[in-house]
Amino acid sequence: MDLITNLGHGFAVALTFNNLLFCLIGCVIGTAIGVLPGIGPVATISLLLPITFGQPATTAIIMLAGIYYGAQYGGSTTAILLNLPGEVSSVVTTLEGYKMARKGRAGAALSIAALGSFFAGTVATILVAASGPLLTQVALSFGPADYFSLMFLGLVISAVLAQGSVIKSIGMVALGVSLGMVGTDVQTGQQRFTFGIPELSDGVGFVSIAMGMFGIAEIILNLERPEARSVMSGKVGSLMMTREEFKRAVPAVLRGTVVGSLLGILPGGGAALSSFGSYMMERKISKGRHEFGTGAIEGVAGPESANNAASQTSFIPLLTLGIPANAVMALMVGALIIQGIQPGPRMVEAQPDLFWGLIASMWVGNLMLLVINLPMIGIWVKLLAVPYRHMYPSIMIFCAIGVYSLQNNVFDVYQTVVFGIFGYLCSKLRLEAAPMLIGFVLGPMMEEHLRRAMLLSRGDPMVFIERPISAVMLGIAAVALVAMLLPNIRKGKDSALQEGG
Amino acid sequence: MKLNTKDIISGAILIAIAVVGLWLNMDHNMGSARRMGPGYMPFLALAILGGLGALALFFGLFNGPDPLARWTSQEIIFLIGGAVAGTAAGLVAARMGGWPAAGWNSLGIGLFVGCLVPSIVKSWRPLFLISAAFSLFGLILEPLGLMAAIALSVILSAFADETHKPVGVVGLVAFLCVLCYAVFIYELDIRVPVWPQF
Repeated sequence: MDLITNLGHGFAVALTFNNLLFCLIGCVIGTAIGVLPGIGPVATISLLLPITFGQPATTAIIMLAGIYYGAQYGGSTTAILLNLPGEVSSVVTTLEGYKMARKGRAGAALSIAALGSFFAGTVATILVAASGPLLTQVALSFGPADYFSLMFLGLVISAVLAQGSVIKSIGMVALGVSLGMVGTDVQTGQQRFTFGIPELSDGVGFVSIAMGMFGIAEIILNLERPEARSVMSGKVGSLMMTREEFKRAVPAVLRGTVVGSLLGILPGGGAALSSFGSYMMERKISKGRHEFGTGAIEGVAGPESANNAASQTSFIPLLTLGIPANAVMALMVGALIIQGIQPGPRMVEAQPDLFWGLIASMWVGNLMLLVINLPMIGIWVKLLAVPYRHMYPSIMIFCAIGVYSLQNNVFDVYQTVVFGIFGYLCSKLRLEAAPMLIGFVLGPMMEEHLRRAMLLSRGDPMVFIERPISAVMLGIAAVALVAMLLPNIRKGKDSALQEGG
Repeated sequence: MKLNTKDIISGAILIAIAVVGLWLNMDHNMGSARRMGPGYMPFLALAILGGLGALALFFGLFNGPDPLARWTSQEIIFLIGGAVAGTAAGLVAARMGGWPAAGWNSLGIGLFVGCLVPSIVKSWRPLFLISAAFSLFGLILEPLGLMAAIALSVILSAFADETHKPVGVVGLVAFLCVLCYAVFIYELDIRVPVWPQF
């Protein structure tokens, strides 16, 4: 059994002291930012990217991954206790979870959220481990044309699934791709759009874009909103579920795991979409559906399992194809590239420590999170007593030091200011930043594959249709685009995303 | 006509970026489809960007109404004032020679002044005071060191939130100085000047 040998190797990597420590740090930070509204995983990971450079690549990625799935655990805590979603992905948890808390079943809701997440995380981890090498084999047979079409499909879907106008989202993707063109052309060495600024010859700073548009812009938007934090009402109560609650929750957890695992792989999907998908499903088909709106345990169990499953399976396209499925994964690509690792199908063979170590660490991290969250719930709730006026200067300073330490150059600091202002403008105009970040990461890769594909086909664009894999990808992309132009589907998506946040 | 102001402005911004980009891209050799030059992919991306901008603008004429919050005349005046003052300060700094012109300091001074002026208006404060504090950090860091940079930019950013009290800000500065020293200097050992350099 290759899988078991490989997983054994992974655990050997994940269980070294240093990796365990950083996995724990990642999980703790993730839970903290999950609890705290106003700072999400994208901002935090971009904030901590520069700090991870001193670490080996495996350790760095293990920690960053811990932040991402840790945030899914933490987000449910405040959603249930305070009706305050700490993360976008726990918005639907507030619907049933807070009602349960009002009925005095907060403990049960927290338990099923954590246990369901743990179960989903375990299943999703196995899925990543099993499908990784398989997909990698498939991916190795991909030619440049297939890669180009695959990335194109990823960009289209990430734009289609983004909130709001599809045209504007694709526009932001194109803007991201264009921004990715800044810097030295790989093949000719020509400087493009650099205005003679030496700092731009390596391209626009990836960390500057992420920190500016997600970190700084988020601070500004939070400051504009008045602080709305209620004090916790009632007690957590017993963490034990009744037998009946448990019986009802199990099928919801199973369904949530399946929905989350599938939607997580989808480009542009991820935690928020899958928790919403699972909520809709539970409301329609679960046994307790008549109780929805009054605190049905299925409405907590399903979405919480789904968002955690999705946060793990969204690593699949990254680890096997090198294609980021969402903004967090785009940051992971950035982290890998800065560490000198090109993400893609060759990673499994070239970096077995990283690949299997990360997978094993996901399971270890989920186990840690179970302990971090359930018995220690009180500590996390106290964290909410920290007022935002003390948080935002701290976030700002961490951003500033982090971005400076990238290259010890203040140019990066000023670049971040500009992207912060631009990010604020974009959110006011409802232009989505996430598709832009994904476009920025994929742009240069797409250019290379396009060049190679056209060189091989002697300039004949038909190669994209003649190769079956490529043709299928482009076909799906076209269908997705056309579907969004049909008013009925578009309305359905808008209302779905509106409710799901 | 139901104007969707947000879409129209978004479209206009995308078109503007595309036009400037395409104009700059004229310097780059397009090459042929078979042997693409450095200008080929940027041309494709920017052309699509411009096209989508035009679409967004066109549909924005009908799918509204979605107005932006109206700016007061005060807000507009100080925004323009900031842009002018910032550009002027940057240009003056670049001509002065010495420290203001060295490295990226003139850019930093321009950004700092440009952001500080509009932050006089209360409603602009979150946006521009945070940006100004961030630029200030960049300006101070190399000559005066990390501790001074933390202190001054935290104090400046504190004005963005009216609930701050002086004691709380002093405590926050002390806390952040100790924390950043422990994390960044002691633990991670990043190469940043900590104290003023003379």
